[in-house]
Amino acid sequence: MRTILQALSLLLFSLLLFFATYKLPDWFPADIYLRLDPLLGLNAIFAAREMIGRALWGLVTIGATLLIGRFFCAYVCPMGASIDFLHLLFFRKKKRSNLKTESSFRKVKYFLLIVFITAALAGLSLAFFMDPIALLTRFYTFFLYPLSITLVNLFLDVLRPLSKALGWVSLSHLHYFQPVFYMSAITLLIFGGIIALNLIAPRFWCRYLCPLGAMLSLISPLGIFKRKVSEECNECMKCQKNCPMGAIPEDPTKTRLRECIQCRTCVQVCPQNAVTFPATLSIGGEYSKIDFSRRGFIYSMAGGLGAGFLALQTPYTLRQSKFQLLRAPGAIPETEFLRTCIRCGECMKSCLTNTLQPCLWESGFSGLWTPKMDLRLAPCDQNCNVCGKVCPTQAIRSVSLEEKNHAKVGTAILLKEKCLVWAQNKICLICDEICPYNAIVFRPIEGYRRPVVIASKCNGCGFCEQRCPVLGESAIVVVPDGEIRLKEGSYVKEAKKLQLEFKADPGDDKFILEESGFKIESGKKYEKNPQPQKPKGFLQ
Amino acid sequence: MSKCKKEMTRRTFLKTVMAGATLALSGNPPLLQAKEEYDLVVISGEPAAATKKALETLGGISRFVKKGHRIVLKPNMSFARTPEFGATTHPMVVATVAEACIQAGARQVLILDHTLHRAELCLERSGIREACKNISGAHVIAFQERKFFKEIKIPQGKILDRVEVIQEALESDVLINIPVAKSHSATGVSLGIKGLMGLIWDRESFHSRLNINQALADLATVIKPQLTILDASRALTSGGPGGPGEVKKLNLIIAGTDPVAVDSYGVTITPWYGRSFKGRQVEHLLIAHQRGLGKIDTDQLKIYKGTT
Repeated sequence: MRTILQALSLLLFSLLLFFATYKLPDWFPADIYLRLDPLLGLNAIFAAREMIGRALWGLVTIGATLLIGRFFCAYVCPMGASIDFLHLLFFRKKKRSNLKTESSFRKVKYFLLIVFITAALAGLSLAFFMDPIALLTRFYTFFLYPLSITLVNLFLDVLRPLSKALGWVSLSHLHYFQPVFYMSAITLLIFGGIIALNLIAPRFWCRYLCPLGAMLSLISPLGIFKRKVSEECNECMKCQKNCPMGAIPEDPTKTRLRECIQCRTCVQVCPQNAVTFPATLSIGGEYSKIDFSRRGFIYSMAGGLGAGFLALQTPYTLRQSKFQLLRAPGAIPETEFLRTCIRCGECMKSCLTNTLQPCLWESGFSGLWTPKMDLRLAPCDQNCNVCGKVCPTQAIRSVSLEEKNHAKVGTAILLKEKCLVWAQNKICLICDEICPYNAIVFRPIEGYRRPVVIASKCNGCGFCEQRCPVLGESAIVVVPDGEIRLKEGSYVKEAKKLQLEFKADPGDDKFILEESGFKIESGKKYEKNPQPQKPKGFLQ
Repeated sequence: MSKCKKEMTRRTFLKTVMAGATLALSGNPPLLQAKEEYDLVVISGEPAAATKKALETLGGISRFVKKGHRIVLKPNMSFARTPEFGATTHPMVVATVAEACIQAGARQVLILDHTLHRAELCLERSGIREACKNISGAHVIAFQERKFFKEIKIPQGKILDRVEVIQEALESDVLINIPVAKSHSATGVSLGIKGLMGLIWDRESFHSRLNINQALADLATVIKPQLTILDASRALTSGGPGGPGEVKKLNLIIAGTDPVAVDSYGVTITPWYGRSFKGRQVEHLLIAHQRGLGKIDTDQLKIYKGTT
């Protein structure tokens, strides 16, 4: 029963992430798991010092825990499910002779929770580092998702001769876009480490480390369902040995209510059928105290503040405008963005073109795993606004396509020494050809027609940078200069105010007429009779 | 489908009375020789009807497409733009040709392009996938993976000696090029021959390493569509090839077997960037003509002009 619910939850989590991509309908809450996570919500609200609508979904989890207890970890948490299933796969046969049920290590998760909350109060979003939902979303995004695409394509390749022979036209040409990410390896190592910890104890992560579990365990004894052991108990200690959370102390009739996740393993293993989970209003006993010293409390608060200080007082953050990265269109102003972003990676998963990539150290410790645009790798498509739709804390605002296309992320700058036309008089037009906004025009300069960027028409989508045929760094690069980042209000209005115009409509290209004068590059015979009025490409 | 067939046979009948042929002879060489006298067919009208008429006037698609053939149609669907931008071939033109091919007995019609924008967006926004989805045997595919391309040699290549081409296009029985008429900021215009660049893998080198006009002529020596149908229902007369730019509604379909002739005529149908030009003024067409790939002077062509 529990395994089925866990599997369903994991499946739902995977499906939601699978659907988080281009053409996501507005009503579809692909980020619901992240919204339901109260730790991420609290972290974002504290760090941003702002109410975040979507984060209020966390109250659902809090309410359910208050009512039922810490069931989330056993039935809902996709990380818990992954740990359980992989445990079955790898560590089932491992013998654990002397697993101590009492462990001062248990405290660690509370310390971590305090560190994260304090850091958030100091203005640093840090909970992402160990929050199970954010962690798993990252693992899926940066590792499982690209891997599964690779496998599917491999399968299609293997199948291709057969599908060709059988005349399955669509299948024989099917190929899925392969997403790639920086930091895939780091993400895998972290997830692998968490699974490997099961070597030491089952659900090691959940017992000792998980800050979300710690948060829920603070209130779990209030839930009405509690483990009860009848007098049939013959103290065989089977329940204690099998409890995945180590929630049963030396006296098997007692329960550490904060640790108990109501998985009911003890009910199943009890030979006497002595264990039940009846509804009761009592609020735990001696085993339900948080074993937590005042000293530890203060140390971890200091740790959180220290982390906040270390991460925030760096050249990266003090000189933010000089180090700025290109963020997704609709990202709120950088300081607020860093505080609000919970680094789940959902935006990067949903990105249609794969331009959104995780940062390692590009904006310091406070910018770990935040999304940046890598426009040399891929552009931002003007028909897609999914990244905002799936952002659980709205660090990237969910806006309409028109608004999104006015959320200028930067401005293209032409590097004349590298440009084939400027530096070598070659016949290249790719940046102009691909620009969706006509922000690149050719003007007659020194007898040749050369590309020029019209800054007021460029919204930084990066098609030019990605397509530039120059090897290595592009001859036309988008820099954050001129970006429009608003916490609230309309990008369209702001762009109007700044006299910018990002129009993808046909029919606004009159300026070409006046400016289409140049002579042809190739062949000397044309240079003899320069016809400055002739558009590029035509001969005499 | 049946309606279309009826119309075709009626027209074919009317036109074949003089030749004393019967309907059953519509695939017969003696009959077709009368039609082949036209170098070019220029039809004015709505995209679908004009395309249909153009095919009939040329002697019917069955002149090119035989039973069991595998056909490749190469429209321009390189940009994720709706048809009104004029950057992509009109979906109804593509669908009409695809349907005619299937009716003529084609086993399979592949409608393909190497798209510049993301493939699924191009298929979706150009409207071509939607227009062709009910034609059984027709498949709209965008290629963005090198594994679907195959390298061929260009024996007559001056600057391009080998090129990677979409394999399906190489293996097809008939290749029909269905470009859209648009301006182009490097080659002046982008019509049929320029549209062939949509069949190759490495387009970048045409702009960086090579002279694009020479390279296009080289490419045209190995990729020879049996039929070129230029969609000038709309022409992107400035801002091409990607737009946005000025779009003129010309309502023309120009079809012919000589790729240079079709393009040369296409140059003359409307001013580009506000000025009128001739085929000889487009460098890649001139080079192609000089290398014997087709006729360039439109006054020497036998042109059928009609309306739907």
